[in-house]
Amino acid sequence: MFVDLRVGNLAEAVSGRRWDRGEIGRQVATRVARFQSRGVARGDRVFLPFGNRLEFFAELCALWRLGACAVPIDPRLTPFEVQTLAGTANPRLAVVDDATDTRVIRTLIETGIGVIDTTDTGSDELAGGLSQLDDDALILFTSGSTGAPKGVVHTHRSLRARWISLRDALGTAPFARTLCLLPTHFGHGLICNCLFPWLSGQDLFVTPPFRPDIIMRLGAMLDEHRITFMSSVPAVWKLALKLSRPPLAGTLQRVHCGSAPLSATAWEDIRRWTGVRQVCNAYGITETGSWVAGLANAEGPAEDGLIGEGWGAVIKVLRVAGTSRPVSADDECAPGESGYVWLNTPALMKGYFRRDDLTAAAVIEGWFSTGDIGLIDERGRLVLRGRERDEINRGGMKVYPADVDAVAERFEHVRDVCTFALDDPMYGQAVGMAVVLAQQDDATLRALYAWMKDHLAEPKMPSRWWVLEDIPRTSRGKLNRDAVRAACIERPALDLVQLLAAEPKR
Amino acid sequence: MNGAGPPQAANCDRQRWREDLHRFLRTLQKPGKSLAQLGDDEGLVASGLIDSLALVQIVVYLEDTYGIDFGMRGFDPDSLASTASILDLIAEFRS
Repeated sequence: MFVDLRVGNLAEAVSGRRWDRGEIGRQVATRVARFQSRGVARGDRVFLPFGNRLEFFAELCALWRLGACAVPIDPRLTPFEVQTLAGTANPRLAVVDDATDTRVIRTLIETGIGVIDTTDTGSDELAGGLSQLDDDALILFTSGSTGAPKGVVHTHRSLRARWISLRDALGTAPFARTLCLLPTHFGHGLICNCLFPWLSGQDLFVTPPFRPDIIMRLGAMLDEHRITFMSSVPAVWKLALKLSRPPLAGTLQRVHCGSAPLSATAWEDIRRWTGVRQVCNAYGITETGSWVAGLANAEGPAEDGLIGEGWGAVIKVLRVAGTSRPVSADDECAPGESGYVWLNTPALMKGYFRRDDLTAAAVIEGWFSTGDIGLIDERGRLVLRGRERDEINRGGMKVYPADVDAVAERFEHVRDVCTFALDDPMYGQAVGMAVVLAQQDDATLRALYAWMKDHLAEPKMPSRWWVLEDIPRTSRGKLNRDAVRAACIERPALDLVQLLAAEPKR
Repeated sequence: MNGAGPPQAANCDRQRWREDLHRFLRTLQKPGKSLAQLGDDEGLVASGLIDSLALVQIVVYLEDTYGIDFGMRGFDPDSLASTASILDLIAEFRS
């Protein structure tokens, strides 16, 4: 079902461009020929620092037909971050589009990586062989873009396990005409919102990700394309519920919301706006191929933190989080008792790319320690209660404090730094930073701001800064980010707007 | 509510709304961008001055400050694109 390209039609919901199955086959075949002429072979990795357009999916299929591995990259990453990832992944090629930052292209070329434009295909066509199940199919870098990259490796076997699990749990009918508003460089948007329906033969409509003008016209777009399914993150609904008219055509059958906590209030608001009861909080983790649990039948009342049953996964809540010893029934929490969420699924990643140490710290005997806190309720459903992972969830996009710290630490006048999560009414969380400087004058602060902006993708930039005399640490010298945040929010943050506005003209 | 007055009064109103709006935008704007250097017709989001989600906060500001009910009047995304278009929206509502 998933190997022989019986895919659905593809369309760009905003531009109106569309490819039917025949055209998709041709587009893939020309890219197979192009990749082969450039020497791409089984096991090679190819960077894709673009997405959310028809060509992206043709590139993906073409690479898979050659047994190569696709590495989708957030197009907003800075040249420094892309270079860091390239240093780890050693891609044979990068495929870019006309929106790719020219500085990123220059960096890739300087690093010795061939760069081709996605529309540059030639006319030769080649069918290509089929990938083998245990070939690496996809690497998704989830953190470490500024230091030690952490790339989740999925094989065709693990991806297919995810898609078949979803088909078994949810069927394909609700996904007949699927809309993706999410970026295609992360698991939720790519593996589940796009590839599950499309590779199951359903039609896929993609838009540029998180564009406010698109979200403000969401209701009209759902009607125009007779959309039956869409996924989302809570931040999408902050805009849509307020600024878009609801859909009127009644085509929508199912809505998922994921990547960030969904409150019961927001859940019911989405139901009212969409006119659909089948709205669910889809629990997705990149390591498990994203959506790993939720409510197949989401008719019931919304509840804070309610996820539901495993989709092709066994869920356990244990009193331990570490992988130093095998998962044991003795460690299992009683129903209603909070503990650490563990997952066992055939869709589990192969491991972290060339980081066996990280894989061993997260996986033991097929069980994955999620870092989430939750419980199993009296009906056997997973309910999430919090996270122990060291991450900032900015509207569904994860920012890893260590990635931000790593950039600030490299600035010559920074003595110490601690990045932490701040509550944010729109995004759920925002990025805050406490910094200790050898020189505290305005020029140094402006230089630090410029340094960070050069090295960090925009969503990772701290929006509020505090300059401290020292950063409190535990007796073992470790950062306690919560304690630093608590110390900071008691005092005013730097007025960055004023500081940067006062920058002397060059 | 102000009726349609003489042009001078209308200009005065518009100037006041602009000052109030800019004061509010300064609380939302990203560091490193200059509101003062942004033309009234330039896009607030397109220029990078504010984040797309800040549009929701602008809507709440317009509802709270001027009583504009977007639920009643419908919503055109272009009306929040720039300082000028927001001022036009306020003027249209006030007249």
